[in-house]
Amino acid sequence: MQMRLMDYTKFRPKPDEEISEVFQRVNRIFILSCGKCFKKFEEEDEGQYAQLLETLGADRTKVVGHTQVDFLCNEFLSGKRISDLDLSHCDSIGVTSCGLGVQFVARLLERTPVYALADSVPHSPNYPAEVGYHGISLEEEKCAACSQCYLNLTGGICPITNCAKGLLNGPCGGATDGKCEVNSSVDCAWVRIHERLKKRGERSASEYVQPRDYSRPSWKVTNGLSLQNQALRGGGFYGGFHPLENKEATADKRVERFPEPQTAVIFLSQHAGRRAKPVVEPGDKVKVGQKVGEADGFVSSSIHSSISGKVISVEERAYPAAQREELAVVIENDGKNELHPSIQPRDDFEALSKEALLDIIKESGIVGLGGAMFPTHVKFSPPRPVDTLLVNGCECEPYLNTDNRLMIEHPEEILAGISIVQKILGVDKVFVGVEENKPEAIAALSRFSDKYPSVELVSLKTKYPQGAERSLIKRILDRDVPPPPKGLPFDVGVMVSNVGTLFAIYQAVAKGIPLFQRVITVSGEGLTRPGNYLVKIGTPIKDIIRYCFDKNVDGLLEKYDVKMGGAIMGVPQASLESSVIKGTTGLTVLKKHPVMASEERDCIKCGRCVEVCPMQLYPLFYGLYGKKGDLAKAVEHKVEECVECGCCEYMCASKIALLSFIRQEKAYARSASKG
Amino acid sequence: MLAVQVKAEAEILPLISSKRLFILECLGCRDVHYPVEKAAEFMDSLKEEIVGKATLDYLCHREFVHEYVKAYAGEIEKAQVVLVFSCGVGAQVVSSLLEDRIVYTCCDTLYLNGFQGLTAKEFNCDQCGECYLNYTGGLCPVALCSKNLLNGPCGGSQAGKCEVDPDMPCVWQQIFDRLAKLGQLHTLERLGTPKNWNVSPASSAPEKRLA
Amino acid sequence: MKTRSNLERVLESGQFAVTGELGPPRSADAEVIRKKAKILKGHVDAFNITDGQTAVVRMASWAAAIIGKEEGLEPIVQMTCRDRNRIALQMDVLGIAALGINNMLCLTGDHQKFGNHPAARGVYDLDSIQLVRMVKDMRDEKKFQCGDEMTVEPRLFIGAAENPFADPFEFRVTRLAKKVEAGADFIQTQIIYNVDKFAEWMKGVRDRGLHERVKILAGVAPIKSMGAARYMKTKVPGMDVPDSVIERLQGVTKEQVSREGIKLCVDIINQVRQIEGVAGIHLMAIEWEEVVPEIVEAAGLLPRPKLAP
Repeated sequence: MQMRLMDYTKFRPKPDEEISEVFQRVNRIFILSCGKCFKKFEEEDEGQYAQLLETLGADRTKVVGHTQVDFLCNEFLSGKRISDLDLSHCDSIGVTSCGLGVQFVARLLERTPVYALADSVPHSPNYPAEVGYHGISLEEEKCAACSQCYLNLTGGICPITNCAKGLLNGPCGGATDGKCEVNSSVDCAWVRIHERLKKRGERSASEYVQPRDYSRPSWKVTNGLSLQNQALRGGGFYGGFHPLENKEATADKRVERFPEPQTAVIFLSQHAGRRAKPVVEPGDKVKVGQKVGEADGFVSSSIHSSISGKVISVEERAYPAAQREELAVVIENDGKNELHPSIQPRDDFEALSKEALLDIIKESGIVGLGGAMFPTHVKFSPPRPVDTLLVNGCECEPYLNTDNRLMIEHPEEILAGISIVQKILGVDKVFVGVEENKPEAIAALSRFSDKYPSVELVSLKTKYPQGAERSLIKRILDRDVPPPPKGLPFDVGVMVSNVGTLFAIYQAVAKGIPLFQRVITVSGEGLTRPGNYLVKIGTPIKDIIRYCFDKNVDGLLEKYDVKMGGAIMGVPQASLESSVIKGTTGLTVLKKHPVMASEERDCIKCGRCVEVCPMQLYPLFYGLYGKKGDLAKAVEHKVEECVECGCCEYMCASKIALLSFIRQEKAYARSASKG
Repeated sequence: MLAVQVKAEAEILPLISSKRLFILECLGCRDVHYPVEKAAEFMDSLKEEIVGKATLDYLCHREFVHEYVKAYAGEIEKAQVVLVFSCGVGAQVVSSLLEDRIVYTCCDTLYLNGFQGLTAKEFNCDQCGECYLNYTGGLCPVALCSKNLLNGPCGGSQAGKCEVDPDMPCVWQQIFDRLAKLGQLHTLERLGTPKNWNVSPASSAPEKRLA
Repeated sequence: MKTRSNLERVLESGQFAVTGELGPPRSADAEVIRKKAKILKGHVDAFNITDGQTAVVRMASWAAAIIGKEEGLEPIVQMTCRDRNRIALQMDVLGIAALGINNMLCLTGDHQKFGNHPAARGVYDLDSIQLVRMVKDMRDEKKFQCGDEMTVEPRLFIGAAENPFADPFEFRVTRLAKKVEAGADFIQTQIIYNVDKFAEWMKGVRDRGLHERVKILAGVAPIKSMGAARYMKTKVPGMDVPDSVIERLQGVTKEQVSREGIKLCVDIINQVRQIEGVAGIHLMAIEWEEVVPEIVEAAGLLPRPKLAP
């Protein structure tokens, strides 16, 4: 399929005389040039500034500085870039951009004269037909946005953008050999319309079409929608977007206990850091909650059996969170469900010291259950003291209801877990952030607000990725965590913890139960039994998928994607042979799309990736340099600060596999810094 | 950026009455504006048989439409009408790839200021080819004045608002205020000559301006 | 003398000029115009025919002007930029000149949304200032807007409107200056009820010497009813009707309001005559043309000068 890839560049240099006239008015001018939008992305610098300097000749001595700002009309990011510049010594700003960029800069720097050094460029497929708007693509088709679409009368060919006279009852008498009288290289739009209607067997446009209503859309309507849009895009943190939530299928489903697995495959690495050392051998009998892996080193965690039975083997198995194999303890269920004697409730847990509590958490194998799986006892021993605990109840991924159901069904345990952590961290203030799409959860937690006066419940406007640490901290506390890879929440005095983790902490401390089971949401498309299930760690994914589809699932992956996690950041499974780990927040099943993200497609500089990146990066560069194989350049463009939330790839108008490029570039950065 | 509104039922129903339908819905610009509920309501209310439905992002992207048309060829074959929920660009692209099928659009398209990104802008650029911003302190009268005056304001400017809508700012008042702030009010004494409304996009050299 | 305009003659002679106005009918009825013209005859030096006032369709100004001319009056044809592009405007300028019209008023035009065809496309190819310059160049340079030359030029006395009460107030004098620069020969202002504000504007005008380069006719109008007064105060953009005017009209009985409205008009004429730089009045008694004779008489402006052509 040959793509047109029109060049919809929006500006070109002004005539020399006009530029001279501007330069007569100034003495010390700073130049801002926009990196442009809507053309095939091939080079970062398209040479506008060099061209300008050539035009200026002697006047170039008046230029005191220059910077290129990509997508100058992205007011938030460009505003930041511009305010970082030292413009104190210049008397004016020259802008090379379309009219939007100039107007934005002029408003931003109200007291400094701002001059346009470029003219906007009209684009019309059938010049001089009415200027139409292209879509988020570089195709020929344009839309006049007349708000009274005529396409149903013209076989899908717009008469306004294609007919030089914008006739609605065309053609006029001027077409010669099917070409327009105004521009003989262009087909007469009405000849094309007539042919198209004939092809479709539709009656040729013989009905009278009344005059266009130029009062539509009214300013009121467009202004109203613009304000709505701006309210939608704003909301607590820059970037992000609003995927379809698709949570209705499981939001009201109570957590059910999933049947125990016949065979449990329990990975020894279900946490960041070093893999646990196996402390069992084939043939050993184990009970529920018995330790099978010992934490190895400072950043590591323990692993416990989730069933009672016999150890069959300790071997490599397909890992669900990455495309590789990992060591796992494989246990055959004996059906007896015997609890290990170490599992004892503690009635006096409120009197335990901070150190004792941390020790229990460590011994219980608690890790971050929001997906990151960082060993909790390490996380709660930060190098710097923190003043605030943020509890993450956002669950911004589509389809998932894991945290939602936990908050609805176990609010007291979560709040008790929060108190435990408060004690450990020594914080007075706790905020619980929950997205407003979970009114029941908010109500459930609110019922106990009197008992926990230091805990404040904050209802947040739903926007992905509100649940990302940085976005949450920004939204609730308005603090900026320094960027990755070095920056962490404790740098601004904050600790963030997921509600699932806090529930697990309560279970471990109060009930003596180590982490060997967790709630997951199984949802998506085509399922007969979507739901929220309490699942034993090590349960084969195939068992769960088969149960929820209620049929044989061999060959399922030809038609569907199965992701460990949610629809956006979930890890696609190469096979159904893996098992549930501590970081499995859910299993999301999605029908395969006819169009998948690819590394081959061309970027069209639409700027949407920049608009949605919550880290305020420019992801299009990661695609450009990934394609060129210049990974160092990507590092220069701060790829290490990317948190891989997936917003850019999701929004990409060309469906470029941005995450794939980003991961390559980050890996390069890691190895470069080591070597 | 383009946004859509669902057409009035009365306009669509006669076109699709009793026909088997295949629906193509574009969600690519949801974060700009897309009336998800209204579209869903409309689809639910249809009495006609819907033989298939595909939702995708960016119906304006020819390659994507091509792939979806291939993937859903069977259903499209069974349909008598392909119904599109998208802006005019997407509707035209679909029509051009299904030249011998009946394709109808269910939406009217309108424009919110801004070329790139997802956030509607305060300003607009009409791509007129003769940037006038150097005479107006950086505010565009062509795009933002209801009468696109170059020597405004007209007599209808009142308390900073345009006579067309009491909430709509008069850009010439804004221009006046901006030039005052810059100490450049004398710029307004310059007589703006009649505009060329048909600047050619084809030439790389700009047109000569009439003095 | 640039033209054969009677209005120009009166103004050049230094006498206080009076222009009137009539709105053409919303039909093809020529009689309406003849009737109104007969009332105005002898009481005005020239009279405007509005062109699609408030964007409502009425007989074209140029056509009504011809009918008025047949009745022996001196018409001022109005043209707006809302309805015609530069091609049509120049064509119509040639046409009215050929038919013996001597005066033209150049306007931007009320936005189409105010009228009975709000769906119409507003043309606005030019604005009023560009229109003034274009007609001036046709007359004095014998050139079309594109630069082509013509053999017989239209000799029109060129007018423009100015609204001392529109915003931004500080800019209104400069805007007048632009129209003068562009080539306006005479100016008719928006209806004045706030004499103080008008006087303030005139001071600014005088400070820039504009009153010596262009003839300023102060717009005045009688008020027929309380409803009319309130409508002008609240619904017409750019009109300044002070509370004192409303109070004055409220001070009489309902039957007396129109009488008082006429008295008010005469008072304002007398006041603006005292302001230096005001060269005449533009009396707008729209749909109430019957009262023009008595107002002009009561203001001491009769008889109108009869000057040799």
